[in-house]
Amino acid sequence: MAVDNNTVKPDTVKLGPNGKPVRPFVMPSTLVGKLKVWRYIIYRRIVQLGSLLLFLGTVHWGWSIAGEPLLIGNLSSSTLFGIVPLADPFAVLQIFLTQHLLEQEVVIGAGIVLLIYTLLGGRVWCSWACPINMVSDLASWLRRKLSIKDSFILSRNIRYVVLALSLILSVITGIAAFEWVSPISMLHRELIFGIGMGWMAILGIFIFDLLVLRDGWCGHLCPLGAFYGVVGKVAPIRILFDTPTCTHCSECVRVCPEPKVLNFKKAAEVGMIASGDCTNCGRCITVCPENTLAFGLRVQSNISKKSSNKLESNLRRAT
Amino acid sequence: MTSKSSRREFLTRSVQGVALTATGGLVWSYLLQQQAHAAPHAIRPPGAYDEAGFNAKCIKCGQCVRDCPYDTLKLAPTGEMVAIGTPYFIPREIPCYMCEDIPCVKACPTGALDHSLEKIEESRMGLAVIDIENCLSWIGLRCEICHRVCPILDKAITIEHHPRKLSKHARFVPLVHSDACTGCGVCEKACPTEIAAIRVVQPELVQGKIGEHYRLGWKIDTPITQEFKAPKRKDGKDTPATGLDYLNQGEI
Amino acid sequence: MDKLSPTLSQTRREFLKTSVAASAAVTAGVSISSAAIAATKEAEAGWQWDKSVCRFCGVGCGIMVATKDDKIVATKGDPDAPVNRGLNCIKGYFNGKILYGKDRLTKPLMRMKDGKFAKDGKFHEVTWDQAFDEMEKQFKKTYKDMGPHGVSVIGSGQYTIPEGYVMAKLMKAGFRSNNIDPNARHCMASAVVGFIQTFGIDEPSGNYDDIEHADTMVTWGANMAECHPILWARVSDRKIADEDNIKLINLTTCSNQTSDIADIEIIFKPGTDLAISNYIAREIVKRDAIDHDFVDKHCVYATGPYDIGYGMRGTSKYAFDAEKDIQAKELEITLDKDEAIAQRRTAGEKVKQSNRGKAMKHWQISFDEFKKGVEPYTLEFVAEMSKGDVDESLESHAAKLKELADAYIAKGKKVTSFWTMGTNQHYRGSWANEQMYTLHLLLGKQAMPGNGAFSLTGQPSACGTAREVGTFAHRLPADMVVFNGKHRDISERHWNLPAKTLNPKVGAHITKILRSMEDGTIKWAWVQVNNPFQASGNANHWIAAARKSDNFLVVSDPYPTVSAKVADLILPTAMIYEKWGLYGNAERRTQGWRQQVNPPGEAMGDVWQGLEFAKRFKLKEVWGEHKVPGLKSKGFTDGELPSVLDAAVKMGYSPEDTLYDVLFATAKNKKVAWPHDNAVTKGHGNHIAEKLGDGWFPEKALFDEYRQFTLGNAHDLADFDTYIDDGIRGLKWPVINGKETQWRFNEKYDSYVTKGNGFEFYGKALKATPTGNLDKVTSKDKKKLAGRAKIFFRPYAAPPEQPDDNYDLWLSTGRVLEHWHTGTMTRRVPELHRAVPSAQIWMHPTDADKRGLQRDDLVWVETRRGKVKARLETSGRNRPPKGYTFVPFFDESVMINKLCLDVTCPMSKEQDFKKSAAKVYKA
Repeated sequence: MAVDNNTVKPDTVKLGPNGKPVRPFVMPSTLVGKLKVWRYIIYRRIVQLGSLLLFLGTVHWGWSIAGEPLLIGNLSSSTLFGIVPLADPFAVLQIFLTQHLLEQEVVIGAGIVLLIYTLLGGRVWCSWACPINMVSDLASWLRRKLSIKDSFILSRNIRYVVLALSLILSVITGIAAFEWVSPISMLHRELIFGIGMGWMAILGIFIFDLLVLRDGWCGHLCPLGAFYGVVGKVAPIRILFDTPTCTHCSECVRVCPEPKVLNFKKAAEVGMIASGDCTNCGRCITVCPENTLAFGLRVQSNISKKSSNKLESNLRRAT
Repeated sequence: MTSKSSRREFLTRSVQGVALTATGGLVWSYLLQQQAHAAPHAIRPPGAYDEAGFNAKCIKCGQCVRDCPYDTLKLAPTGEMVAIGTPYFIPREIPCYMCEDIPCVKACPTGALDHSLEKIEESRMGLAVIDIENCLSWIGLRCEICHRVCPILDKAITIEHHPRKLSKHARFVPLVHSDACTGCGVCEKACPTEIAAIRVVQPELVQGKIGEHYRLGWKIDTPITQEFKAPKRKDGKDTPATGLDYLNQGEI
Repeated sequence: MDKLSPTLSQTRREFLKTSVAASAAVTAGVSISSAAIAATKEAEAGWQWDKSVCRFCGVGCGIMVATKDDKIVATKGDPDAPVNRGLNCIKGYFNGKILYGKDRLTKPLMRMKDGKFAKDGKFHEVTWDQAFDEMEKQFKKTYKDMGPHGVSVIGSGQYTIPEGYVMAKLMKAGFRSNNIDPNARHCMASAVVGFIQTFGIDEPSGNYDDIEHADTMVTWGANMAECHPILWARVSDRKIADEDNIKLINLTTCSNQTSDIADIEIIFKPGTDLAISNYIAREIVKRDAIDHDFVDKHCVYATGPYDIGYGMRGTSKYAFDAEKDIQAKELEITLDKDEAIAQRRTAGEKVKQSNRGKAMKHWQISFDEFKKGVEPYTLEFVAEMSKGDVDESLESHAAKLKELADAYIAKGKKVTSFWTMGTNQHYRGSWANEQMYTLHLLLGKQAMPGNGAFSLTGQPSACGTAREVGTFAHRLPADMVVFNGKHRDISERHWNLPAKTLNPKVGAHITKILRSMEDGTIKWAWVQVNNPFQASGNANHWIAAARKSDNFLVVSDPYPTVSAKVADLILPTAMIYEKWGLYGNAERRTQGWRQQVNPPGEAMGDVWQGLEFAKRFKLKEVWGEHKVPGLKSKGFTDGELPSVLDAAVKMGYSPEDTLYDVLFATAKNKKVAWPHDNAVTKGHGNHIAEKLGDGWFPEKALFDEYRQFTLGNAHDLADFDTYIDDGIRGLKWPVINGKETQWRFNEKYDSYVTKGNGFEFYGKALKATPTGNLDKVTSKDKKKLAGRAKIFFRPYAAPPEQPDDNYDLWLSTGRVLEHWHTGTMTRRVPELHRAVPSAQIWMHPTDADKRGLQRDDLVWVETRRGKVKARLETSGRNRPPKGYTFVPFFDESVMINKLCLDVTCPMSKEQDFKKSAAKVYKA
């Protein structure tokens, strides 16, 4: 698993809209260079696996701090330090729609998590926390390696239909519709509480993503992603876009799991990747040969587009 | 022409989209119903709501599982005959030992396990039933392990002494009482037969109910009402005659 | 007799024909289809069924064992066995599984370093030869240095009769040592003292059929519901058959399962049973309910000294500081208020225990003296001192005591009293036993159907082997004792020994053996069929002693027990169905069985182990002169056992003969050939005879040799073949002309009673005593009382250890139905282990609350002698009153008995496991 290093060899020198020659992304030959390119993927895996480890450690090995269990539960709902409730806001919304009264605890937990993801950027969930992301990333990487073409085209908006359906079915059937079939909860739960047949669903997603449709699950169907996509529309942390430096080389588009969000025209207008569908995975940042892209705050995009570079270098130094 | 055809195409596609969504929705809800009814006999943690309420409220986070000191509870892995991801236990493996402080219920963030349950004795996880054909005590052996290990013995399980007839030994017959049995399953775990002869099941699978129209005369004393409130007779003029069908039908 | 009614015999015949799988349906009254019978037969193709006996408690249920390919495939309750009629308790149900625990020992194991025995070595596999070589070497070293009193055998009430006989004969006749004592000492030695002092002969006059005849049954310190499950089913059946007229009364210190169908439950303060009996006796006297005819003709009154100590060591350099205060009471006590009233003295008086060594002393008194003795035990006094449940009102308790007295006294009502460990394991256990007889004899309610005091036993052959064969430190077969010259003569004649071979000095009882190992006066011990290092009180001492460098401990066991763990050498032993054997149960019923399967690996039966060890000793090594400090007996030089070698040579023995030749494989015994008459063996093997290979059948030969002791002695046993006979399900001795005896001492049933006497308590022991008053002997002239039983006055005495501010709870230990003794067999049955995996401490919920404890909490239980951890139980089968706790002793991870005080009844030397003081706190 690594960042795409599929470099396009230019036969002729093309110029970008900014007049500069379009340079391809070249994978550095040194390990340090490579690690630099892979840095976000490493960070993301650390966050994903680390949180999983915290859950596992608390359940199975009794990890605790000052006598309080560290992190009990799973991504559906959990308790941090034995006091702070956390809960999946989408799951709670569904249960709410089943018209059953909920304990305050889980509502507060959902609120806290919603707030966190609203601040961090909605679909940050998808690329930084969701365990399925590792499966779909692997499928996506293999797919590029093996140059597998999509079997058919499916609108990425279909997930919003699935989202709506989840909510409607929750009302109708009286049970949390997506929560009951969610491969995400299934995978996470079974990793923590014991393996069952859940791996079949996960394998299903892997095969679907690998052979049928690129980013089939996360990019097209997952209502949880869609839910966070809605949240992400107002998220303060965004990927900033330094318009003058972009040569439209499209290296970023090639690696992006949600390529639609890299609309250069729109990005140039607002100075950032504004779409809520962006998962803030950071892949585009590290393949951009021109350092056009960088993490930043939504407010920065309007003040100074150039400072974004600074922010990026600051971030880099800080890490 | 073009606008017409594009409009038709749009309409067609919209209808198709709706149809697809509806089909998907139907299949999905079918799956959900299947899952929800996967195993109505699963033995739930103490304080669990009725199956529908529990299925709706349980967020499958496993916090009850983590807080169970005896590793009794587990989350149903996919493929088990229990609604996916929900907590349950198999008494024959590890029963509920009825902690006085009920940590599993306290851990539940959604209230799928009822937080108003204060005394573990009041929980109803299931009901123990005895297979009297294979129960050693019913047969006449001096076993009655279920009775002696029962955390609320003499209430949930009592012993009656019946004559054996074949010899001058009494049979020590265990009986389960649904008004006290919590379904903790300690008896099922302890039962020494190869396959447990006492097992915890959901009460609705085994419990009958006598008619509402009948009361057991010796259970609650209801003396003859002293101040009887005699209702006024209703005027029966408008009621149609009955019994005519039979009276007028066929040959005599 | 427990015969089935004729209307049921049809069903029963069917019942006999079918097998386990089908029997359930019959029991429920459903007839079995021929298809079901055919299916059962098909499933059982190739199975061979034979009769046998349950391995566990003293009830002695018959079982049937099915084998196939040298493995037990099934068992069932024997429908023909009168005790259980096809039923079993849940332990009995698993008889077939106890042989097949995963960690069954199959090789001798010895502590070794560098290929040689080393006390501090780890256990390694050795051959039987190596094992016996080291055993012999260690034995001979100790025997040479210390003489016969330096070696010992800790035996068992679970020995088969031949096993007990081999070991008793080897120790007493061979090694000339009386240091053999069984764990049965802690089971019913107090009952034995009661029997011998009262009747002059051991074991109950009645039998289990008393249950079906009695109107009132009283249990004293006996949780029969759990500890004698099948008998309790008979008691319960009697009760439900006539609820209004049959009365059950349970006297206990802790509410238990036996209370469940009792009409009256009396919770008394530990130790005050002594006072309650005297209250009843007083009532009998006061109401003149004495059966004067019976008493005048058949009884005398008697008493003995009170200041007899508590069987502890007065001082010991090994005592823990914490236990010294209790130990000091062995020498002197201060009378408390109740004790003072009960003994007609003043409270606060200091009493030197000057009759410590003379506890068995007793003398005849007049009825008036007896009356004076019981006079202080008024209802007011006894009710107040004996109330065991603080939540019960004094009025309620007193009313119950009165009802109890009424029930005993009621004219025309037959009363049977049952008791076990609560009465026997008692600092005054022998007194408590004698008091039972006092009540029954005064009322003339003894030795007749439904009327009698019935001592229950805990082990399958506590009666048959330990008592009857005499594997006690003071006993010889058939109730004879080593300190009686006549008895020694008789035994020497039976055994064909030179005169004065037998050692007249009483050996060390089991507690003394353990103490002596600590003191260094016994240095070689062989433990058989027994787990004393888990079962004994104050075991921390004995465990440490076993590991002392100059002690050598051999443990024979089928499983790695706690005792095996502290041993130097472990011998793998065959289990019950892997050998031929006989057991005798609590109603004098002797039952035999054949070897059903071969033992696993190199495991061998205890008979073989004894015989093989005997082969290693020549007469010249053991029958020479020995110093025996303290030996004092008519015809012996003080402190000396004379050499009998010359006499032996005159009898035709050679000094080079081995004990095996002289004691066991005698010319006569060798005539009992193996392979044997097929009418007896029915094709069954005998791994012992086969391994010996010298063509005799030791179990049969030795049993029939032992039987000679019993004949004409009111102990008459039938011969070996009779007990093995397919048609016999045990016989109650004395067996006269092939007929068993139902009620002893009663002319109607017992041919030993002189015709015309009606009753005769013909036991020969202690039938002449001095006379005196309540306090002392006034005439040393021995007054004969042939044919009479003694009605003892025994006072209340306070328990030496009682709860105080520091150790504020009573601690009692005992059994649960699911496990037996130290659990070495039952805990290896997965189903029983699953049912009751560990021992809990039962406590009153309020006591738990007071200590901030919750049900299931892990707690420390601590006494002056140590502490163990256990889980707390505040509900369940036992319901202790406030201030009382109970812990079963089956669980080696909760070794509770080591916390118990090693107090014994000074007469019987039986330990009291029921009255320690403990504190309990969160672990």
